[in-house]
Amino acid sequence: MLHITSPIRAINWNRVEDEKDLEVWNRLTSNFWLPEKVPLSNDIPSWATLTRDERQLTMRIFTGLTLLDTVQNTIGTISLLRDAETQHEEAVLTNIAFMEAVHARSYSSIFSTLCLTPDVDDAYRWSLENEYLQKKASYIIEHYKSNDQLKKKIASVFLESFLFYSGFYLPMYWSSRAKLTNTADLIRLIIRDEAVHGYYIGYKFQKELKKHAVREQDDIRDFAVSFLFNLYEIESRYTESLYDTIGLSEDVKMFLHYNANKALMNLGFDALFPSDICAVNPAILSALSPISDENHDFFSGSGSSYVIGRAVATTDGDWTF
Amino acid sequence: MLNRLKEADHKQDYHALNAMLNLYDKNGHIQFNKDKEAARQYFLEHINQNTVFFHNLEEKLNYLIKEGYYEKEVLERYEFAFVKKLFQHAYSYKFRFPTFLGAFKYYTSYTLRTRDGKRYLERYEDRVVMVALTLASGDKKFASGIVNEIITGRFQPATPTFLNAGKKQRGELVSCFLLRIEDNMESIGRSINSALQLSKRGGGVALNLTNLRELGAPIKHIENQSSGIIPVMKLLEDAFSYANQLGARQGAGAVYLHAHHPDIMRFLDTKRENADEKIRIKTLSLGVVIPDITFELARNNEDMYLFSPYDIERITGKAMSDLSISECYRTFVDNPAITKKKVNARTFFQTIAEIQFESGYPYILFEDTANRANPIAGRINMSNLCSEILQVNMASVFESDLSYSHIGVDISCNLGSLNIAKAMDSSNFGATVETAVRALTAISDMSNITSVPSVVRGNDESHAIGLGQMNLHGFLAREKIHYGSPEAIDFTDIYFYTVTYHALAASSRIAQERGCSFAGFEDSSYADGSYFQKYVERSWRPAFEKVAALFARNNIAIPTQKDWIALQKIVEEHGLYNRNLQAVPPTGSISYINHATSSIHPIVSRIEVRKEGKIGRVYYPAPYMTNDNLEYYADAYQIGPEKIIDIYAAATRHVDQGLSLTLFFNDVATTRDINRAQIYAWKKGIKTIYYIRVRQAALQGTEVDGCVSCSL
Repeated sequence: MLHITSPIRAINWNRVEDEKDLEVWNRLTSNFWLPEKVPLSNDIPSWATLTRDERQLTMRIFTGLTLLDTVQNTIGTISLLRDAETQHEEAVLTNIAFMEAVHARSYSSIFSTLCLTPDVDDAYRWSLENEYLQKKASYIIEHYKSNDQLKKKIASVFLESFLFYSGFYLPMYWSSRAKLTNTADLIRLIIRDEAVHGYYIGYKFQKELKKHAVREQDDIRDFAVSFLFNLYEIESRYTESLYDTIGLSEDVKMFLHYNANKALMNLGFDALFPSDICAVNPAILSALSPISDENHDFFSGSGSSYVIGRAVATTDGDWTF
Repeated sequence: MLNRLKEADHKQDYHALNAMLNLYDKNGHIQFNKDKEAARQYFLEHINQNTVFFHNLEEKLNYLIKEGYYEKEVLERYEFAFVKKLFQHAYSYKFRFPTFLGAFKYYTSYTLRTRDGKRYLERYEDRVVMVALTLASGDKKFASGIVNEIITGRFQPATPTFLNAGKKQRGELVSCFLLRIEDNMESIGRSINSALQLSKRGGGVALNLTNLRELGAPIKHIENQSSGIIPVMKLLEDAFSYANQLGARQGAGAVYLHAHHPDIMRFLDTKRENADEKIRIKTLSLGVVIPDITFELARNNEDMYLFSPYDIERITGKAMSDLSISECYRTFVDNPAITKKKVNARTFFQTIAEIQFESGYPYILFEDTANRANPIAGRINMSNLCSEILQVNMASVFESDLSYSHIGVDISCNLGSLNIAKAMDSSNFGATVETAVRALTAISDMSNITSVPSVVRGNDESHAIGLGQMNLHGFLAREKIHYGSPEAIDFTDIYFYTVTYHALAASSRIAQERGCSFAGFEDSSYADGSYFQKYVERSWRPAFEKVAALFARNNIAIPTQKDWIALQKIVEEHGLYNRNLQAVPPTGSISYINHATSSIHPIVSRIEVRKEGKIGRVYYPAPYMTNDNLEYYADAYQIGPEKIIDIYAAATRHVDQGLSLTLFFNDVATTRDINRAQIYAWKKGIKTIYYIRVRQAALQGTEVDGCVSCSL
């Protein structure tokens, strides 16, 4: 039986304590999308041009991403809810949690459109058995289960801004080679969301960190860096286990360094990896841009460009003619 | 094995070089040279190594004919010595692709390849010559003229022509079809067949749904039987996804519906983000036909009545699309025999804007504006996939076995565009326009789409063509004029004015040569002279010295009133060969190959990110742009809808058909901003609006470092 000690307050969006909550809420809601929006079936001919190995790799990468999204949806974001400072932050977090479920769902849309069931089952079995994938997921969960809200937020930002990207590399790579371009559109929608999620939770982390003494701040920073290094170790092995088959591991690692720096910057810390080992293939870097301004023709797909708009009625003055 | 694969990949790093165009260098400059390098690498590493070698032209042509790559009949019309000279002539221009995307697009999508798709059989010059030889049908002088216009970049035929001409295995040379659907099962069935047939041949097809009875309308006088237009849209969408030309690209289709059709709100809702799968339309494009009366109702904040097309046809004996709803509105409202419902007119406009935010659709056709400006007898009741074709049509009647008991008139249109900057550099502007008009006419003469007899009839009777324009922004920037400025509007006005004069003169000369005009010339406003009034009664001169100087530089004469009076006489005497002459398409792919900015739009970004099924994501620099003249390259979102509309309005008054006009908004815009732009466009006499595009700026803190297309 729950004991209610104080009256329950209704959320009031007209009294926003942290403007960032509203800004991010608006951004996330206007970015809302569902996988059905993307004409994935246009990629069927392109899927057929991939070799068996390439197809298997792609499926494995997507199951890996599904697993991370599942963690984030059911454990990660939920665990952050308890620490929310404002009711608006809670609202934003539940939106984030929901979109993570949409992301996890999206990969299944890709599978059901492009792949055969036994192959998909096989990839899911692989995700249960892959040592590194399981290890990084449980490592993150471990911190989600801790009671330290700063550590939880660090885990979340590392997941959103770092761990996803070894997976995101592949669809961006394919699309720069004119393959699976609609799938890449869908992934770009996910990237667009994750960029905001990582940024927002990083922002909340920085706000919380400022409340602590300088020494504690240093301790947390040290913790974050060593946590990142541990994840990086696992992530490197994970990358090799996947990308060696098509000879892209070195390139993907550059990309890992770049994103590790981004994750640290989201937390307000300095970058760690020097820029010469962050030389991401420009084709991938340019493809990442979260801004949605690409031009495409109607023969090719829906693009990842449209947003849900704000409806405002016209007035008499608008109609003078 | 692994390493070998990788090495090949690293060598082909032209993709990476091209992508660097989108990233600033250390000094914050755009790396134009990286794109040039990418284009060069692409040739060195890929094209040159994969091009089939022949000892000489004769060997090459013989091989290509024998193996069934080239159409024998095309080359047989010329003696070999001439063909050889023409090829040499084309090669003497030393054409080089100025951008990676131009080269990449050409070689992935246009050039002739071996059947396994792995090796190239043509260079750019070869394609140009084959297009010229095909269109000129044995006329040597004409063939040379076409080669000159294309290779200098002044004229560029549209994709279907440029892609297909001269090839043995090919789609049609015509790109664009508009079909009516009447309110019976035979017509619906025949439309789906036509959609399949035309998509198979590479066309984009638009269909008019206005005449179909609404959801719940009676069938055989039993109420509540019809399922309305949505299931027909579903059928069409599936038909288009099924048909593709030799796997080259998916069919694409659009459907138009009148604003006062009872299913209009349902029609719009098919594009909602959260629409149910059963009614959701993903790949079909939508267009709405809006008459003036709807604006008046919205101004008065009244409800707008929607009328059953079934009842309209029963009562008036005419299909809804053959009537002016503005004229009939009050009568229909008062007629108890016409089933109607109503929605608030402003809510209707707001809903359109909401859907446009989410999906970019629907296109809009301002019905009464288009019809007022139409020189041809008959009604314009729909447009096409790119909203630039505006022609009249007539219904067909079918037997129950889907054969025709009466062949109506449906619309096809072949397009080609002038590069404004290159045309303005031409010493003989009139000849450039004339060659383009004749080339497009040749395509119309060659076309015979037998699978859709109403299209055959339409083409035979009209010889309609659509001469377009591109690279307006590139030209203006090169001449240090800001897009949308008074000088830019003045230039646009006088440029289109001049093109119109030469296009009409060319069409009249063709009519004179052949002794034949398009069917219905006598009933057109060309014949009774009313078309010429605006040109004869006042003088059209540039308002700005700077604009006048642009024309004077290459002695491009701006037609005078006297010229027009003379032209009117000639047209009255000899007629016009082409029922329709101009239409300004959005020019996607061909403007990359030609290195032009699209259509008469502003650029969407200094470095444009282009995505297509066949080429992936590629980056494209605006023409004539350097790190020193960036100020003239404001993008469409910065320029905003009003200035774009002003430019289009200046061009629209000279163009007999339409112009694809996309409006661009930042994501702080609301539906009201979109509505206001639509009202403004309608007031300025714009005929159609194409896409609405909304750009979302990256949330500060989430952007990619040093990315050109992200910086606002």
